Order: sequence, then structure tokens, then C-alpha cells
Amino acid sequence: MNRPVETHLSPDDIDVLLTGAADAGAYPHLDGCRPCQALLAAERHLVARLESLTLEGPSPEFADIVMSRVAIPDPFAIRSLGTARRRLFATRRSMAAAAMVALVVAVSMAASVIWTLGNRETLAAAGSWIGAESVGLLWLGLRGVVANFIEQPWYGDARQLFGDPARVAAISGGIMLAYVAGLLALRKLMALPAQGVANAHA
Amino acid sequence: MSRRAELAAATDQEIVVLARAGQEVAYRELIRRYERPIFALVFRMVRDRELAEDLSQETFVKALNAIESYRPEFKFSSWIFKIANNAAIDHLRRRELDTLSLDGSPHAETPEAIEATALQIGNRGESPLDAVEAKELGGEIEVAIGRLRPEYRSCILLRHVEGRAYEEIAEILGLPLGTVKTYIHRARNELRQSLAHLRE
Repeated sequence: MNRPVETHLSPDDIDVLLTGAADAGAYPHLDGCRPCQALLAAERHLVARLESLTLEGPSPEFADIVMSRVAIPDPFAIRSLGTARRRLFATRRSMAAAAMVALVVAVSMAASVIWTLGNRETLAAAGSWIGAESVGLLWLGLRGVVANFIEQPWYGDARQLFGDPARVAAISGGIMLAYVAGLLALRKLMALPAQGVANAHA
Repeated sequence: MSRRAELAAATDQEIVVLARAGQEVAYRELIRRYERPIFALVFRMVRDRELAEDLSQETFVKALNAIESYRPEFKFSSWIFKIANNAAIDHLRRRELDTLSLDGSPHAETPEAIEATALQIGNRGESPLDAVEAKELGGEIEVAIGRLRPEYRSCILLRHVEGRAYEEIAEILGLPLGTVKTYIHRARNELRQSLAHLRE
């Protein structure tokens, strides 16, 4: 604001005066320059008129119309599914690729069903063998895990701890309480904060 | 505190978080906060109530459907005003292609350049349609704003009707700060000239 007294006010100077960041006293030129005084007065008058313009509002059903066209996200939905669907139908090329994949899958499934119908005995024999082998392997694994568990040094203490039904009930109750407390804490965390964050507003 | 009061006290960023979590009330709160300023801006840009309603709806639908892509480090107001302004400017440009622009290039920096790039066919007096629009909008200042070029109109409305800072206007319009200042100074100059007879 230390500008020569004889220099007329620039648009930036006018802005500073309009916003009130400085008062007219900071510009000695204004005292003796009638054109600058007139310009400043005209600008003030114009800005006052602009600021007094009313804000027209839309129709009362505006929000309902907008909301009928807004897809509210479901936080429990699988997001990738929606994204994949959007990408799939984005272009003709992607739609053609998707149609090709769908055709290949459909043909493969049809071929699989036809082959199955013609080879039922083979499939039944293979199924029985795979079932028997799986059950045998499962038992073997389970016995190994149990044997390993029993051989642990802390097994005796653990067995003693769970030997008393009252103690088992107390432990179960404790676990249930911790679970309920966790749920309540989560609910509290997801609730809307009562106070806003400073300067986050528009 | 009631749910409505809680929402009213929350910041835009907090409301956006709730909207992203799928709460419809949060969407409605964002609409409630911005429907009037957005509609007012678009209405003064396009000067047609029905069209302004459509463009404002498009703005909200676009913004709310893309709420996941909103970046909280920016002001929500800047983001939605940017979408609204783009919608209005796009519409005006499309309409301009159907007619002929009587204005100079928006990139012209000096009054001479503006005059040199302007088409001089016919006068810019108020047409009967302008008169009807003026009556609807009310007042000569509305007519004068309507005569400004769209770029100037956005700037002057955001600055002096919406009260946005120069920096925010530059962000909304995607223009350099100096250009925004120039546009606002020119717009005020044109408005003063248009309304000079009222002060005499």
C-alpha cells in the first residue's frame, strides 16, 4: 500500500478496499482524486447490490427427484462385483469379450453334462475311491493332531483348567462379555460425532 | 441431540463419510445444504428456471453417484460448484454452437483483443425474451449479469453472490488466479457501465 500518491488505484487496490482488508486512509491518493473516489463508490454500490441478490431455490420435490436417481452404496455388498459389472458393459468390445467367455463356459458345461450322462459307472467308481481315500486321510491327520496335542507339556494344566464346569462357565461368560463390549465399542465408533471438525466446512 | 441436529452440526466431510457408508439421510443433508446455492448459480448462468432445475439435478446426481471419487482434502463445496459450473458452461457452449457468438474470445486478455475477436452482427439491445427473463429474475442487475460472457458470469456470481475467495474460484473454474481476478474486474467494469444510468 506504499504506492505513489499520484498513481490511480489499481483493480487490486479496489479489491482490497472492497473486502475491508485496508481502509481508505491507507491510500492517500484517494483524498485528492475525485475519479478514484467515484470509482470506489460505484464499485461499493455494485458489490452491495450483488450481495443483496436473492438466492432462488429449486422446486420442493427437488431432493426426492435427485434421490430417485442416486444409487446409495450398500456397505455390505461385494463392491468388486458392481465394478466388474460396470466394466463389463462399458464398451462393445468388453461386452463381446464377456459374451465369448459366457459362450465358452456354456459349451463346456453342456459337454460336461453329456459326458457325465454317458459315463455314470466310471464316475461312480472314481467317486467311491476318492471318498474312501479322503476319509482315511482325514482320520490319519486328526489322529496325528490329537497325539501331538496330548504330548504337549501344558496339556495336563489345560485339562485340569477345563475339568471344572464352574470354571468353564466363568471363562465362557467372560468371553461373551468381551464380545458384547466389543460390539458396543464398535457401535460407538461408527456413530456420528457430536462436534464438527474446525475448518472442514465449505 | 436429535439425528437431524447432529447432521446439521456435522461438517461436509463428516456427512460425506456417512454417505459413503450408505446412509440416505447424509445424501439428503448434502442436497439440503447445496440445492439453493447450486440452483441459484445455474439459474443465473442459463437464465431458464426449468433448464436450471434439470442442470442442477444432473449436478447432484453426478456428484452423489460419484461420492466415492470425492477427495476429502478439497472442499466439498468447491467440488460440487465445479460440477455445476461445468454443466452450465457446457450447456451454454452447446447453445452457442447453434447460434453465433457475439462475444470476443474468452482467451482475449485486452479490450482490443476482445473487440477484435467479437462478431459484430446486430446490436446487443434487450430482446423481448430478455425482457421476460429480466422480469422473472427481477431487476436490471440480473439482466446486466445475463449479458456478461459465461466465464465472467461464473466468476462474478461465485465472488460476489456466493462470497467465495479468489483462490476457491480459481479451483472451481480450473483457471489461474490472475485470470480469475482479471475476469472479475472486467465483469464489474461491464456491470458498472450497464447500470450507470441507475446511479445518475
